[in-house]
Amino acid sequence: MDLNTSMIVAASGMRAQSTRMRIIAENIANANSTAQTPGGDPYRRKVATVKSDFDRELNATLVKPGKPVSDMTEFRMQFDPGNPAADSKGYVKLPNVSSLIEVMDMREAQRSYEADISVMEASKSMLARTVDLLRR
Amino acid sequence: MAIPAAAAAAYQALAKIGIEAPAQAAGGAATGATQSFGDFLSSAVKDSVGTMKQGETLAMKQIAGQADIVDVVNAVNQAELTLNTVVAVRDKVIQAYQSIMQMPI
Repeated sequence: MDLNTSMIVAASGMRAQSTRMRIIAENIANANSTAQTPGGDPYRRKVATVKSDFDRELNATLVKPGKPVSDMTEFRMQFDPGNPAADSKGYVKLPNVSSLIEVMDMREAQRSYEADISVMEASKSMLARTVDLLRR
Repeated sequence: MAIPAAAAAAYQALAKIGIEAPAQAAGGAATGATQSFGDFLSSAVKDSVGTMKQGETLAMKQIAGQADIVDVVNAVNQAELTLNTVVAVRDKVIQAYQSIMQMPI
């Protein structure tokens, strides 16, 4: 039945958004991770991707979390000669993570998740009210 | 998936009771009708128990950290809706049976 399928589709969206949230958490947590070797590359920001995936069995298009892609923008440079990861000129490469962008991404993931929850709630109440027709 | 299946099975079983009962009454054996209603009830309950079991298995897996909470919510929701459907159909059938029993003869 379509209402059941819509619940499964909403669940797949929730799963995809939680994967996205995990990648945002990794980015935020690693915002200060530097390299282990002098002059080496620090943590590189990851971008979460989602893709649509047609399920023949359900006859519906589900959401699947895609492979996270590395963000190839420049690293931040900071003058810190005392840092063990500093290069010969005393500069340390810091991850290309901007907390503002991450917070915005996080909000987006949060809102998408909430939208999926609303779809689930609506489908469930539609099904439950249909069953309630039998009771009176 | 289990809800329409359970409902369809329930209605099919009820339709069968409706068809078989007059035939059996003509044959003189009225016990067949109650037997088929019992069959319907037990198969519907078995179906809902299967769905509930699936929900419980997933809940246990979640506690062990092996299943996704979304899957657990989905499975438990399905179980709840299946059980509600079975209970509603059963109530309706019993209600019909009672109104027949209360008919003045």
